[in-house]
Amino acid sequence: MSNKIPRKQSIMRIIYFPASVIAVYGIIFAFMPERAFLAIKSSGIIFSNIIIPLFLVFILIIVLNLFLKPTYIASFLGKEAGIKGIILSMTAGIISTGPIYVWYPILKELKEKGAGSSSIAVFLNSRAIKPFLLPIMISYFGCLYVAILTVFTITGSLVAGYIVGALMEKKT
Amino acid sequence: MKIAVSADGPDLNAKVGFRFGTSKYFIIIDQDTMDFEAIANPGASTYQGSGVQAVVLVISKKIDTVLTGYCSPIAISHLTVNGIQVLSGVKGTVGEVARMYKKGKLQRQPGVESRLETGANKIERTLIHALKNSANQFIRLLPVLTGVVLLIGLFSSFMSKELLSSVFSGNIVTDTLLGACLGSIFAGNPINSYIIGGELLEYGISLFAVTALIISWVTVGIVQLPAEMAALGRRFALVRNTVSFALALVIAILTVAVIGV
Repeated sequence: MSNKIPRKQSIMRIIYFPASVIAVYGIIFAFMPERAFLAIKSSGIIFSNIIIPLFLVFILIIVLNLFLKPTYIASFLGKEAGIKGIILSMTAGIISTGPIYVWYPILKELKEKGAGSSSIAVFLNSRAIKPFLLPIMISYFGCLYVAILTVFTITGSLVAGYIVGALMEKKT
Repeated sequence: MKIAVSADGPDLNAKVGFRFGTSKYFIIIDQDTMDFEAIANPGASTYQGSGVQAVVLVISKKIDTVLTGYCSPIAISHLTVNGIQVLSGVKGTVGEVARMYKKGKLQRQPGVESRLETGANKIERTLIHALKNSANQFIRLLPVLTGVVLLIGLFSSFMSKELLSSVFSGNIVTDTLLGACLGSIFAGNPINSYIIGGELLEYGISLFAVTALIISWVTVGIVQLPAEMAALGRRFALVRNTVSFALALVIAILTVAVIGV
């Protein structure tokens, strides 16, 4: 697809941040080694807490990739008008994976071909629900919180779609 | 059984379009009744891209087979992975090739190439494809995740509860606002927001602030704002981000209120 960012650039992008953190560790280790050890210990505890949920995340990513293709998800967007269209956009947002900048070019094309502001806003906001990250979320916050937050996030994305749609229409 | 033929015109007498992605029309023909429908190709006017819009159209119309002159390898892989057969190298009028295809003659024409993922081959390819993609996504998630965890470790060795509570004062309004601001500035995989949020809770930061952080992490993006403006328009991006910021505050307060009940 034409929307892939150059591989080298994208690798730089993800390595840059951890590399800087490790550099900071190096500096602190030189001046305050006991603090650095403490920091590594704390990090180790966090890692040990997320390792099992992280493994579940990997399994869920495989399952989603097995059944859902980006072009199939895109076929949900902007096709139908009205409530059905909004629900399809929401579903597409929830099941979409990958970083957001992969989706901008696809959304741009869809918008140029007539997909509404509401649908796009609903899609972008319902991306806050990430089924494959649920194991991590539940391990930190518990089922009840995650369930309530999910309901409000879905409602919120619909409200956002409605308001954005209304505001955009007003002007044009 | 439905076929889609890329075409230069909107009827059965039109010539088969040379390029799948940029042909003017798709003629969709029901093979059982030979009823047809002409649809303007949404990607016809674009000269770039590899026909993704045409692919999306064909998938949404539940087509079984595509007949065309030429189809880019990327479009072919998207179509076949969705179970659609692609016949390229097809020449003639739409009506002609549709009849030949029905009789099974088209596939034997010189220059016509058929691609279809079948049976075991398909399962194997899909599985390998999914595994590769997943491993890729997962590996890409790890470096930043590692950085975040190490950074939290670092903070925890320097930051005391007192220091943090001088920032998050315990006031619901300012804490929630602060959480939403942090979430709007930071971006990236939401998994990092869960870990940061979870650790902040350990430090006694209110759930209001943490929830606002988690919601705005994805729905509001200051870092991606220029990209969003470029793709979807300045006004849309500004309106959507502002609305989402306000909603993050509302959702945070409602969520915590409901849990407290």
